Amino acid sequence: MKTESDYYALFDAYRSGELAAPQRADLEHRLATDPGFARRLQDYEELTGTLSAYGRRLATRRKLHAIQAEMDAEAAVRITPEVAQESFATSTAPRPLLRISRTEEKLRTFWHGHRATMMVAASVAVLAVFATLLGLEMYRAAQNSSGSLYGYTVLRREVERIKRNQRAMNRTLSQVDGNAKPEIINPGKFSGTGFALTADGYLVTSYHVIQGADSLLIESRDRQRYRAEPVFTDVAHDLAILHIKDKDFKGFGRLPYSFKRGQSDLGEKVYTLGYPREDLVFNDGSLSARSGFEGDTGFYQISIPVNPGNSGGPLLDDRGNLIGIISGRQMDVQSAAFATKSSYLMKLVDSLSAAGAGQAYNLPRANQLAGTSRPQQIRKLRDYVFVVKVYE
Amino acid sequence: MGKGQPSYTDEEFVAAIRHGDDRALAQLYRLHFPMISHYVLQNSGTDDEAKDVYQEGVMVFYEKVRDGSLELSCQIKTYLYAVCRRLWLKRLTEKTRFGGRLDDHEPFLETGAEADLELAEERDRRFATMAEALDRIGEPCRSLLEGFYLLDKSMQQLTAEFGYTNADNAKNQKYKCLVRLKKLFFNHYQEEEHY
Repeated sequence: MKTESDYYALFDAYRSGELAAPQRADLEHRLATDPGFARRLQDYEELTGTLSAYGRRLATRRKLHAIQAEMDAEAAVRITPEVAQESFATSTAPRPLLRISRTEEKLRTFWHGHRATMMVAASVAVLAVFATLLGLEMYRAAQNSSGSLYGYTVLRREVERIKRNQRAMNRTLSQVDGNAKPEIINPGKFSGTGFALTADGYLVTSYHVIQGADSLLIESRDRQRYRAEPVFTDVAHDLAILHIKDKDFKGFGRLPYSFKRGQSDLGEKVYTLGYPREDLVFNDGSLSARSGFEGDTGFYQISIPVNPGNSGGPLLDDRGNLIGIISGRQMDVQSAAFATKSSYLMKLVDSLSAAGAGQAYNLPRANQLAGTSRPQQIRKLRDYVFVVKVYE
Repeated sequence: MGKGQPSYTDEEFVAAIRHGDDRALAQLYRLHFPMISHYVLQNSGTDDEAKDVYQEGVMVFYEKVRDGSLELSCQIKTYLYAVCRRLWLKRLTEKTRFGGRLDDHEPFLETGAEADLELAEERDRRFATMAEALDRIGEPCRSLLEGFYLLDKSMQQLTAEFGYTNADNAKNQKYKCLVRLKKLFFNHYQEEEHY
C-alpha cells in the first residue's frame, strides 16, 4: 500500500515527464478509471499551483517594491540635490533615501491638497493690494490736480502756470526797453482773493486758498505787501480768517461795507471783486439759489462768471452789504458759482469773540456804500480787496 | 523618465511584460504612478497609502498579463485608474471614515477592471490561506517548501542546505510536507468556502 507522499512523488515525476512509458500508461489508465485517484491528482496540482503562484506573487511584490524604492530615492535626490552633493563631497556614505520629517511631510500633503486654492487666494490678495494702492493714488491725484470732486472746482489760481507766460512777456519787454530791469519777485504757488474783516488787520478768504500753505503774503492794489498768518479756519464752510502781523501795518482805515447777518433774497443783484489775474477784476450777476452745491445750505448759488483766483473774494449786494465769500463753481453747469453765506462768517466771528481768543473783532457797523452808484462803490471798495499769495 | 529608455505603446507594454521584461514593468510603473498618487492624495489619502494602492493595482494588471488572460478594452492608464479607484474605495470603506463620493478627475469607464478585481480578490484570499497554512506547518517543512516553491531553489541546493544525505531523501521529505500542507490548506480553505 502506497502512502500519500508516494503518490505525490509519482505525480511529481508524471508532471515533469520523468516517468517511463509503461508506468505512465498505467497511471493514465488509473486516472481514467478511478475518480478518487483523479481527484487526488487535482488536489495535488491545485496545491502546487497555488504555491508557485504565491511564490510568483511574492516575487512580483518584491519587484514593485524595488521599483518604488528606486523612485523614492530618485525623488529624494532630486528634492535635495545640494544635500546629496554635500554628502559626496565630505566623502561620507551617500544616503540613498533621504528621510523627511513628519511636519514637513504634513506640510507637503497640505500643499498638495490646497495648492490651487492658495494660489488663487494669493493672486486675489496681490490684485486687491495693487488695486487699492492705484485707486488711492488716482484719488489723491484727482484731489490735488484740480481740487475738483464731482464737478466742483475750487477757484484758487495756480500761479506757476501763469508765471511761465509772464516770464516770456518780461523777456520781450526787456528786449524792447533795453535798460529796464525785470523785477524779480517770487509770485508764490497759488493765489486767491481776500478782503478786510476789521480795520485792525483781520482778513477773510477761502479755506482752500490757504490750504497747505507754509507762508502767506497779502498784496494790496498799490503793491503794498504784508505778511499774514491764519487765525482760524472752517473747512466745512470753506472759510479762513487771517491776521496781518507786520509791525509797520497801520490799519486799513474805516471799512466802507457792512456784513449782512441774515440771508439775502433770490434775484438780488450781486457783484464781486477779485484777482483772477494780476489786476482787480469786477464781475456781476444775480443770486440764483439759496443753497449751494448738492443742496449745501451754507452756500449761495450765484450767476457770476468766476475764474481761478476769484476764491475768497467778497460778494456784495446793491446796497453795499457783504453777503458772501466766493468759494467755487460747478464744472458741468453753466455759470454756477458758489459763495459761502456771510451769516456763517458772522457766526464764526461771534463764536471766536465769545471764546475770547486774541483781540476782539471790531466789525464795521456803518455802511458807506448804500445809495451810491456802482463805480463809486467800487472805487471805495477796491482798497480793501487783496491778493492772497500762498507759498508751499 | 526618458533617459535613453525605449518608450512603449500600450500593446508593446503588454507584450514586453508578458515576456517577463522587468524594464518595461518598471517604466509602466513610473509612467502612471503620479496619476494614482494624485488621485489618492486628493481623496484624503497619504503618500504611503497611494503607493500601497498603486502596487496592488499594478499587481492585478501584471498577473493578468502574465496569465495571458488580459482583455484590454481601453488604455492601460484607464484600466489602472479603474482598478486603483476601486481599491481605494474599498480601503476607505474599511477605514469607515468615508461618507461621500470620490473626487474623480478622470472619466471612469466600464473597463472590465471590476470583474478582474473580484478574481484577484478571490486569489488574494487563497494566498492568504496559503500563507497561514505555511505559518502553521512548522519547521523544517516551511523552509523546505518556501525554498522550493517560493524562492525557486533547486533540490540539490536544498539538500545541501538542510543536510540531507541525498536529493531523494530531501524529495521524500518534501512530499511528506506537501501532504501536511494539503491538509492544512484544504481544511481551512474549504471551511471558509462553506461559510
